[in-house]
Amino acid sequence: MEKILILNGSPRAPRSNSKRYGALFDRAWGGESETMDLLRADPGAVAERLETVSRVLLVFPLYADAVPVPVLRTFQALEERPPKNRPTLSVLVNCGFLEPEQCDVAVDMAALFCKQMGWPMGSVLEIGSGEAILDSPFRFLAAWKIKALARAVAADRPRRLKAAMPVSKAFFLKASTRYWLAYGARHGVTGEEMATMEIEGQRPS
Amino acid sequence: MKTILTDRPLSLDLGDREDLVCFDLSRMRIAPCVGCFGCWTRTPGSCVIRDDAVKVYPRLAESDTVLYVSRVRYGGYDLPVKIMLDRAIPVQQAFIRLLDGETHHVQRSVVPKRAVIVAYGARDREEEDLFRRLVARNAKNMSFAHYEIRFTGEEQVEAAVRQEVEAWKRS
Repeated sequence: MEKILILNGSPRAPRSNSKRYGALFDRAWGGESETMDLLRADPGAVAERLETVSRVLLVFPLYADAVPVPVLRTFQALEERPPKNRPTLSVLVNCGFLEPEQCDVAVDMAALFCKQMGWPMGSVLEIGSGEAILDSPFRFLAAWKIKALARAVAADRPRRLKAAMPVSKAFFLKASTRYWLAYGARHGVTGEEMATMEIEGQRPS
Repeated sequence: MKTILTDRPLSLDLGDREDLVCFDLSRMRIAPCVGCFGCWTRTPGSCVIRDDAVKVYPRLAESDTVLYVSRVRYGGYDLPVKIMLDRAIPVQQAFIRLLDGETHHVQRSVVPKRAVIVAYGARDREEEDLFRRLVARNAKNMSFAHYEIRFTGEEQVEAAVRQEVEAWKRS
């Protein structure tokens, strides 16, 4: 199988969920791959690698309803010094919200980048509840969709896939609250403290 | 309270009104969010990165009117405004609520606001449409009760901003 370049666009690349999603994709891909963290990678080095592959998977978390800064920076750098090669760009995006559709705008930003660069847009997997799903009993659903994504990418057959925990919104609210309470407790911060209405120690007058 | 966030220097006369503030992001030192969740789980409501962003997001939270000036890139904000908006997440809690049937973060003390976005440099209608969709999503997460997008060319940015500010001064 042809080599694929996996670009991790997370602002916390070395310890990110995107890294875990990229690793799951790599396992499902089965062929040769190379992963680069956009947070630290020199854009010139990214452009250099892009000359050597026909397929790229961009993995990133949703940030303020859009692509995160390392992805935006890379897009701009590639536009300024475009590689001669025009690889097919596939996308794996995750958000902490239950609805994968909340990632639609970010995916379409990547698609617009492809259009402006003359690159083919490949397949897409949007993962809702992506902050926690890998550590939940529904991990298998994410892994299953990632395998489907890998097959679609390998076959050059663009698909738009979605995955999320198959739970009600009410259940998700309770589960996410438990998740964040446990997260805060690891730092000795209570739920009440986390729920403060103050911003920088002040409430608006 | 009214606040301007701009990705480029603007020649504006805001007078001596304390309720009008302009942050020129091109002259501020603001690092990108590192995704540590510190503002939700370690020092709730405060970012652990103590740069110029900590002056901006409390002010955004207490503003009833905001004006963002940004170049459009790939249907989104260009880096200066994008970096600042990403760094504004201390105004939200980690906890999730339902809003219009969708899951979103609970807001801390954030005043519902009217937002005007002066968006320049979009290449075509497709890019403008995508930017509209982005701002519609932002409205849910950034407490925009009303918003308006004014697409403009780079040369018309100052005039578009001045027009809005003059209206603020009259109000």
